Amino acid sequence: MDVLSDEQEALIQRTAGEFLAAECPPSLVRAVEKSEEKYSKQLWTKFADLGWLGLCLPEEQGGQGLPLTYLGLVLEEVGRYLAPLPVHSTMVPALVLASFGTPVQMKLLERVACGELLLSFGIVERSGRWSTDAIALSGRRDGNDIVLNGSKYFVDNFRIAQKCMVAVRMFGADGGDEGPAAVLVDTASAGIHCEPLLTTAKDGESVVRFDDVRVPQSNRVGAPRQGRAAVDALMDYASVFLVSQMQGAARRAMEFAVEYVKHREAFGQPIGAFQAIQHMAADMVNAVDGTQLLGREAVWRLSRGLPARVEVAQAKSFANEKCLMVCRSAQQMHGGIGFIAEFDLNLWYRRVTSWTLRGGTTYEHRARIASALLDTPGEVRLGRALELPAAAPD
Amino acid sequence: MDFAFTEDEERLRAEIKAFIARQLTPEVKAQLIAEREGHGRGPLAAAFFRDIYERGWLGVSWPKQYGGQGANRFAQYIVEEEFYRAAQLVIGGGGTGVPAVLAAGTEEQKRYYVPGSIRREISFCQGYSEPHCGTDLAGIRCRATRHGEIFIINGQKIYTTGAQAATHIYLMVRTDPNSKRQAGLSILLVPMNTPGITIRPLWTIQSDPPAPPKTTYGEPRTNEVFFDNVEVPATCLLGAEGDGWAVAQRGLNLDRVGAWRYLISVMRDEDIVNLIKKDEPPTEGLRQDPRVRDKLAELWTEGQVCRLMTMRSLSLEQRGGRFKYEGSAEKIWAPEHGVRATEAISQILGPYAQLLNGSPHAINNGVFAHNLLGAFQSTVNHGSVQVMRDQVARKGLGMPKQRN
Ligand SMILES: Cc1cc2nc3c(=O)[nH]c(=O)nc-3n(C[C@H](O)[C@H](O)[C@H](O)COP(=O)(O)OP(=O)(O)OC[C@H]3O[C@@H](n4cnc5c(N)ncnc54)[C@H](O)[C@@H]3O)c2cc1C
Repeated sequence: MDVLSDEQEALIQRTAGEFLAAECPPSLVRAVEKSEEKYSKQLWTKFADLGWLGLCLPEEQGGQGLPLTYLGLVLEEVGRYLAPLPVHSTMVPALVLASFGTPVQMKLLERVACGELLLSFGIVERSGRWSTDAIALSGRRDGNDIVLNGSKYFVDNFRIAQKCMVAVRMFGADGGDEGPAAVLVDTASAGIHCEPLLTTAKDGESVVRFDDVRVPQSNRVGAPRQGRAAVDALMDYASVFLVSQMQGAARRAMEFAVEYVKHREAFGQPIGAFQAIQHMAADMVNAVDGTQLLGREAVWRLSRGLPARVEVAQAKSFANEKCLMVCRSAQQMHGGIGFIAEFDLNLWYRRVTSWTLRGGTTYEHRARIASALLDTPGEVRLGRALELPAAAPD
Repeated sequence: MDFAFTEDEERLRAEIKAFIARQLTPEVKAQLIAEREGHGRGPLAAAFFRDIYERGWLGVSWPKQYGGQGANRFAQYIVEEEFYRAAQLVIGGGGTGVPAVLAAGTEEQKRYYVPGSIRREISFCQGYSEPHCGTDLAGIRCRATRHGEIFIINGQKIYTTGAQAATHIYLMVRTDPNSKRQAGLSILLVPMNTPGITIRPLWTIQSDPPAPPKTTYGEPRTNEVFFDNVEVPATCLLGAEGDGWAVAQRGLNLDRVGAWRYLISVMRDEDIVNLIKKDEPPTEGLRQDPRVRDKLAELWTEGQVCRLMTMRSLSLEQRGGRFKYEGSAEKIWAPEHGVRATEAISQILGPYAQLLNGSPHAINNGVFAHNLLGAFQSTVNHGSVQVMRDQVARKGLGMPKQRN
């Protein structure tokens, strides 16, 4: 046990941070908000050239084969600098391919590692619910094809991605329900309609409609009986790496606020000398540190191949409340200025508000934790991992 | 980054659990409780401690040359956790007493106090608080005047928990009569049987009826301790004369973290889940209540943060690092979680949560009611959460001190 970063982990995180500090000023984040693509192609190329995308991909596909914890650390920095890059939307499905992909699908990772192939993923539908049970988009087997019908909501970076990993409900040619599965779809396929959304993050989310979209059966991720596991992994990676980003962003917002209150004066002294402000700051520290510890533990378990659904749920439910509290408190400490569009702090506030609502809400994740606590046999003990019962709500 | 105990550590945990299952009989437990109440050590308890001692579980992380095992901080933690869970027995751990002696003591003091504590022949109570100053400790008035090779102590301490059973008091005194605030304070290790010391009990909110096992701050009693021309040799001094503030700081930090502090903050979370899981009257049906399910999941997650903050402190200690703000941060999070959990649980249980130990229909011997009486105390002692927030802001974030 040593929950702190080791030397190599700290070095990689620092290096990623230094790169983004130099290359990703708030002015770039603003410029990209106004752009059509909602990402910076130039920064993406540099980021990929430095090898960050391949960090945790298999060595056979040109990656470095490091544990997932490294990607978590890099995403903390991506969040910290609000880097307008499709790292999360690309790496989440890429990691599912790395675990479940067929040899042909695994080949795609070579192009992911070098930044050539941008990915996206679609899970949530019109209900807005973060739940496998809410996946209704149908994938009907038809000869050698799968025919997709339905809609995915809140799909990040669909418009710039070449492929999208879509969570579907599979049906046999006879109409029999075969359960959830993940299917890779070319974003340029016939029958796809994409409608951009305007989110508080001002990033690239869309609603994507699939009307009789045909993909070959070979685009199904993993063996037929692994469909559910692949979708679970897709959802877990999506949630937990959002936590990494949220934590990095919230920490940065806290640092802005701490700097500000050390210099802003009122009643004859820096407002940061007032206990009311200091106590708010102390609570912000525990909120981001708590998120960091829960998030890193969940990523670490995933990196070891240990069951981590409950840990992911803990991290995301906590992060949703606490990271927003931190960013809102940072606003409070800034008084009026944080509300002004030109002032950079609101870039962090706006993104974190969005991220708390993606990848599962607080209540959805808590329902999962409650199920592991209460719908399982035997006594619980903190420090002993919980597992979800087979029929857990999600 | 590594969030698991090693195989060796897990093996140690299994050994301890097996030992406890075998040796901690109800008769032994009864004698342990009697000892805590100041009735001295019974023969079964003595044999129990001897067995623990022979297995090397007392002083696991303390140096071999003074009778410890020289093992790492995590092994020590495991011992502390298992014995506290089984019998609310505090073994090793903390920062006052032996860890302070190891950090600041002379060779002679280490050779005397460490093996003695490991054999549980020596135990310390803490003499910091005084009637007029607790949080603001630098206002200490209890004084020790030096006369050549002796000190003469006069003054009063308050809330000296365990003074009735301890062999020694870890005493913070003012040795320089002309000093103010932190300067001029010293630590003395004073045998409690020295003439001139009077102990007077202060009965707590938990004394009638006594709190059941596993209560957060179930102490029925603390004490006032009076010093009337108490004469001790100058060799009682721990660290340099006038350096008491610095000597105490590290110990106070260690007292704010560790197995004990963690467990008193989170055992509620387990108790309530395990109770509701049974799905029996009077909590039958709560298992399906979505409000209850949501709240328990929230509390559980907060409890995990308590655990992870404890692991962070141990990781820092194991690396030989010093706390910057982490000990103080944990001393906000864990006690306040304990309070939030206690109060939320009482609303889940309804009127049953007011029933004390011995009352008809009390749940789990009234532990949830006694927690309502005790949990908040953890936010006050050893550095209140207000002062801990000051520390996190100033030491962790470099925020300025308020001008007067
Ligand atoms: C059961 C029990 C066991 C104890 N055991 C021991 C023991 O073994 N040894 C020992 O030495 N002491 C012990 N104590 C004493 C304990 O450490 C003190 O009660 C504690 O330090 C608070 O001091 P006080 O009671 O004098 O309250 P005060 O210091 O008067 O504090 C009262 C309130 O004012 C707040 N406050 C104080 N200063 C500030 C500030 N600057 N900013 C904002 N708020 C502030 C505090 O947070 C607190 O809420 C024990 C207490 C209890 C109840």
